[in-house]
Amino acid sequence: MAENPPFDEMYNPDGSVREPYRALAQWLEEQPDKALTLMQSDAEAIFRKLGITFAVYGSAEGTEKVIPFDVIPRIIAAQEWRRLSKGIEQRVKALNAFLYDIYHRQEILKAGRIPDKLILQNEAFCPEMMGLEPARGIYAHIIGVDIVRVGPDAFYVLEDNLRTPSGVSYMLEDREAMMILAPDLFQRQKVAPVENYPENLRRTLESVAPANASASPNIVVLTPGIYNSAYFEHSFLADQMGATLCEGPDLFVDGGKVYMRTTTGPERVDVIYRRIDDDYLDPLTFNPGSMLGVPGLFDAYRAGNVTLVNAPGTGIADDKAVYTYVPEIIEFYLGEKALLQNVPTYNCTDEEQRNWVLSNIGDLVVKEVHGSGGYGMMVGPTSTKAMHAEFRKKIEARPDNYIVQPTLALSTCPTYVNAGIAPRHVDLRPYVLIGDEVRITPGGLTRVALKKGSLVVNSSQGGGTKDTWVLED
Amino acid sequence: MRISIEHQLSVTPPAGTVHAVLQVMLTPINGPSQSVDSWSVEMPGIGNAARFADAYGNSVHLVNQARPEGTLLVTVRGEVTTTDRHGVLGRVSGEPVAALYKRVTALTRPPVTLYGKFRSSKDNRIDILHALMARVGETLGVADAGEQSQTQMSADGAQSQSQGTASGQTARPPASAADLAHAFIGSCRALDIPARYVTGYLAPGGPEAEDKLTGFHAWAEAFDDRLGWIGFDPTLQLCPTDRHVRLAAGLDGLTTTPLRIVPAGDGVAMQEAVVSIA
Repeated sequence: MAENPPFDEMYNPDGSVREPYRALAQWLEEQPDKALTLMQSDAEAIFRKLGITFAVYGSAEGTEKVIPFDVIPRIIAAQEWRRLSKGIEQRVKALNAFLYDIYHRQEILKAGRIPDKLILQNEAFCPEMMGLEPARGIYAHIIGVDIVRVGPDAFYVLEDNLRTPSGVSYMLEDREAMMILAPDLFQRQKVAPVENYPENLRRTLESVAPANASASPNIVVLTPGIYNSAYFEHSFLADQMGATLCEGPDLFVDGGKVYMRTTTGPERVDVIYRRIDDDYLDPLTFNPGSMLGVPGLFDAYRAGNVTLVNAPGTGIADDKAVYTYVPEIIEFYLGEKALLQNVPTYNCTDEEQRNWVLSNIGDLVVKEVHGSGGYGMMVGPTSTKAMHAEFRKKIEARPDNYIVQPTLALSTCPTYVNAGIAPRHVDLRPYVLIGDEVRITPGGLTRVALKKGSLVVNSSQGGGTKDTWVLED
Repeated sequence: MRISIEHQLSVTPPAGTVHAVLQVMLTPINGPSQSVDSWSVEMPGIGNAARFADAYGNSVHLVNQARPEGTLLVTVRGEVTTTDRHGVLGRVSGEPVAALYKRVTALTRPPVTLYGKFRSSKDNRIDILHALMARVGETLGVADAGEQSQTQMSADGAQSQSQGTASGQTARPPASAADLAHAFIGSCRALDIPARYVTGYLAPGGPEAEDKLTGFHAWAEAFDDRLGWIGFDPTLQLCPTDRHVRLAAGLDGLTTTPLRIVPAGDGVAMQEAVVSIA
C-alpha cells in the first residue's frame, strides 16, 4: 500500500485549489446550505425520468437499479487531456495493427515478441477470423480504455476494452443532467462537448460499411434483448443515432446478405453495431445453441456483405494476459515508446514472482484473466484474511488464470456524500471511435467508489458516476 | 489420375422451419496435388448462394431456404485430376500461417501415452511424423469403412468419441478415419508441430483392403519448415497418393464439417460417395 495519501485532483497538499478546479471551488463556496442536497435529489429524479438503469447479476433486490450519480463534476485541464488523448490514440492504433497481424501473418509471434501459445491457445483468439479483410483494416471500432491517475503527471492504463465496452450512455446522460442541475457552472468556463458522441458513432459506423453498400448505409444496433444489463444503453444509442434497434430474430441472411424484417418487407443491413458476444453471434459458425444470433451472419461477414462492429475476435487484444505486452505491441507496430504506462503486473506462472505474490497478497490486487465487471477479483488491503487464503489457493491451483498488480492509490475527487463533501477514489473510461478517423470524446465516464476508502469503482460493486469535464483553452 | 466423384447428402429440417441456413463445404479447390476439371453442387437454393473462402482457405457456399419442405438433397459431382506428390504439398499462397494449426481443440487432445515417447526424439521431423503415424495406427487400430461414414457426420459436426481411449483396446469400436486423423493431429500439436485435418475422397485402385475405404475420407497434414505441408493418412498408413482428392482443411473435423444446417433437426445423412477412376 502506498505510504503517501492518494493524489487529490482538487486540492494541493497545502490546501490550495488546483488550477482546473478554481471555478468549481468558487461556485461551491457560493452555494447556499442544502443546495447540494437539493441538487442530489433533483439528479435522482432526472435519472429516474430518463430511465437509466442497469441490472446487477446475482442481486436479490430487484434487477433494475438507477446508477448513483454524484453532482460534483470531475475536471481535467486541457493540457492534461491533450497528453492523455495522444496516448490513447497511440494505444488504439497499435491494438488494431496487432489484431490485423494476429489474424494475418502473425509477424509479432514469428519475431518472438509474444509467446505464440499465449495467442494461439487463447480462448479469446478467434481462428475463424484468419485472413478476413475488415473494412479499412479496422477490427475494434469502439474502444473504452480504463485509466487511473496516481499523481499530477502519472496515469496508468488499467485495461483496454475492445469487445463491447458499455457505459457511454452514462457519460451522455451525466452531462445532460449536469446541464440541467448547474447551468450557471457551465457559463464560468469552457467545457468540451460530449453530446456529439452519437453523431460521431454514426459517422464511424458509416465509414466502415462494406464496399457494396448503398451511399447511405443502413445501420442497426443488435442487442441480446431486454434482460441484458446494458439494454438501456443499446436502445438509447440506437435512438440517439437514428438506427434501428433489433434482436437476432429480426434479422436473416438471404443470398449471403443480411436483411431486417420490417412491416414494409425485407430491408438490407450494411453495418451491425452488435452488443452480443462473439460466441452467440451466429449458431452456424459459433455456439450452435445460441438463440440470440443470426444463422449465417458470420459467413455473410466473411463474404464481405456486412460489417460487424466490433469484429469478432477483438477480445484477444484486451485479454488480461496479453495486456502486459501492450507496451511491446506499441513498439513493434508503431516504432514508438508507449505514451501511457501499464500498471506493473506480476506473472504467477513464474515461480519467483508467484512466491513473492503469495507472501505479499494482502497488499496486492488479484484479477481473473477472463473476469470483468469487478467479478472474480480481490483487493488485498480491503479483504479479510480468509479471502487472502482463498486467493492464495486459487493462484496455486491455476497460476495462469490470474494476474496480480500492486494496489494503486487511485486519485480522489471531491464527492457529495452523507457527511458532506469528501474525497472518493475515481477512475476514467474514455471512449474512442475508430473509422475513417480516430475520434476521442473529451473526458469519458468517471466512475467513483462511493464507499470511503474503497478502490472498486464498478457499478455492480457499489460505484457511481460523475460528469467529466475537459476544459478548453 | 483423373477421378470422377458423385456424392449425395441429405438433411431434414424440423417441420415448420421458416428459414433454414446451410453451410456447404463440398467444393475442392486447385492445389499442388490436384486440379478441378469440373464440379457442381446441386441443391435447393444454390442459385442464390453466397460463395466465399473461409479462414482456412476452403471454398464454402452459404445457402438459405425459406420454408423448406421435407428433405433437402445435396448432390455434388465432378472430376478432378490428381498428381502423386508423395504427400508433399509445400507452401501454398493464400493459406493461413502454419502456426495457426498448433491450436489445440477439444477434438485434438490425445493421451500423452500416444506421443510422449517422441518428445525427446532427436530424429528429423519427417521421421518422427512417420513413426507417429505408425504408432497412431497400432494404438487405435485401423478403421472400418462402414463405421467411418456413420461417425463422420452428425448435425453438429461432432465426431465419434472413441478417440483418446488408447487403453482398453479390446472393448471399443474400431477407430474411424476421423478418429485416427484427430489422434495424429493432436499428437503433432502436442509436439509443437503444426498439423491440420483434411477431408476428401479416396479413389479405388489400391490394394483390396484400401479399396474397401473408397469414398468420403479424412486424413491429416503436418508442417515441416523445409518441405511445407505433407499429407499423412493414418488410416491407410501412407502419405496421400494420386488416389486422394482434397476437399477441405481445418483445425479439426468440426471446422471442416461438409454440411451444416440451422435449425439442425435430425442431423445430416451422408450417402456413400461414388468415386471412380475416369
